[in-house]
Amino acid sequence: MIVNNRCFNVCFIFRPFRVPILTGCHSSIPLWWASLCDKKILNQPLEKPDFFRVAELFSLKDLFDARVHLGHKKGCRHRLMEPYLYGCRLDHDIIDLDQTMEHLQLALNFTAHIAYRGGIILFVSRRRQFGHLVETTAKDCGEYAHTRYWQGGLLTNANIQYGPGVRLPDLIIFLSTLNNVFQQHVGIRDAAKMNIPTVGVVDSNCNPSLVTYPVPGNDDTPAAVELYCRLFKMTINRAKDRRKQMELLHGLSADARERRHV
Amino acid sequence: MAGSRLERFGTVFTRVRDLIRSGVIKPKEKPLWYDVYKTFPPKRAPLHVKPVTSPSAKKQGIVPEIFYSEDKIRTGFYEQYGRGLRALDLSKSNFVSTCQRFVDKYRELKSHGMLDNSSLFEETAKALLKEGIILRRRGAPPVLAESRDPVLDLKLIDMLAEQQSAGTDTTKTTEDKNS
Repeated sequence: MIVNNRCFNVCFIFRPFRVPILTGCHSSIPLWWASLCDKKILNQPLEKPDFFRVAELFSLKDLFDARVHLGHKKGCRHRLMEPYLYGCRLDHDIIDLDQTMEHLQLALNFTAHIAYRGGIILFVSRRRQFGHLVETTAKDCGEYAHTRYWQGGLLTNANIQYGPGVRLPDLIIFLSTLNNVFQQHVGIRDAAKMNIPTVGVVDSNCNPSLVTYPVPGNDDTPAAVELYCRLFKMTINRAKDRRKQMELLHGLSADARERRHV
Repeated sequence: MAGSRLERFGTVFTRVRDLIRSGVIKPKEKPLWYDVYKTFPPKRAPLHVKPVTSPSAKKQGIVPEIFYSEDKIRTGFYEQYGRGLRALDLSKSNFVSTCQRFVDKYRELKSHGMLDNSSLFEETAKALLKEGIILRRRGAPPVLAESRDPVLDLKLIDMLAEQQSAGTDTTKTTEDKNS
C-alpha cells in the first residue's frame, strides 16, 4: 500500500512490467510446447459462451429481493437511461430487470475472463457508505480498490506520479459511477482515454454512454451493493481457481507459474 | 506503450483495433482484454454521446407509467379510509397490508358477481369487519374512551352574558321592591 505524505490512501500497488512467460523459464519442457499450452489455456475459455458459469451465480429473484430494480425519481432521470427502464410507478423509476440480467451476465463473464488471464482489476466507488465494503471485497479477491479522492492524473499521468514503467489496471469496476457531487466520476472518462475497459453499475441518474459494460441497477441500497460485491468476488475467485486448474491440467511446471506471477 | 486518448471518438475497442491494424501497437503488445472483448462484445458499443443542448432537439423516449387495474380500488380505499391503521412493514417480502386485503376481498366479491359496483365498497368493508379489521373513515372524529367533562365546554363569553342578564334581572327586582 502506498501512503505518501499527502495522506491520500491509494490502496493499490502498481506492479512493475510483467516478465514475459517464455523468458526465464528453466523447466525441462520444450519452448514450443510451453507456448502451445499457453495459447490453449488462453483461448479455450473463449470458445464457450459461459465458460465460468457466471449465470448460475444470480437469479432474477435475487436481484428483486436486493432491490436492484429501484431507481431514482422521475426528475433525476438521465435521458440515456430511458432504454433501460421498465417504467415509472408514481414518479419512481423502475429498472428493467430482464435487461439487467443480460448486462450483468456479460459484465461478470468479462470480469471472469480478465481475472483468468491475470489482469489487474480496480474497484472504484466514491460512496463513503460502502467504502469499507468495496475495500474488503477487493482484498478478498486479491485485487485492488480505490475508494478515496481520485487525483486528476492517477491514470493519465501515472508515469510521472508513480515512476516510469507503471502497469495500469486492465479492468476498472465502478460500484457507483457518480462522485460525491452527483457528477460522473472522472475515472470513467480517464479509463476511456487510457483504453481501459470499464464495468459500471449505472443507476437511473447516471450516464451509461462511456461505460464499456454497463449494468443498470440500484447503486444506493446496501442490499444491492452487497449483492454486487459478492457476485464480483465470487466470479474473480472462480476465474482464478479455474486458471490454476487449467495450468495443472496442461502439465506446466510450478517454476513457470511462479515466474509468471512476479 | 502507444495509445489513443480520444475518448469521444469511437470506442475503446475500435481505437485499439485500428492502432493494431496500422502497426502502432505490435500484436505481441496487444492488451489483455482485446480478445475477450472481441469474443464477447457488449450489447451497445460504448460510444460517447454528445449532451443535447437545445431543448427543441430533445425527443423524449417514452417511459411508460406503471398502473394496475387494482389501482382504482386502491384509490377508493385511500380516499375513504385514509392511510389505514396498520403501518406497512416493507422489510418482509410477503407482507400483506390492509389495503391489499381490501383489494383481495373486493375482487373476491366481484368474482361472485352478485353485487353491483356502488355497494361493493360497503360490502367489502363489512366483510373485513367480520374478519376483525376495523376501517375508520377519514375525517370522522376519533372515538374516545371517556366523554369530555361538560365543564370544559363552557365558554367565558357565555358565562359573562349569563351573569349580566342575571344582574339586570336582580336590579329590576330590587327596583320593583324599592318602588
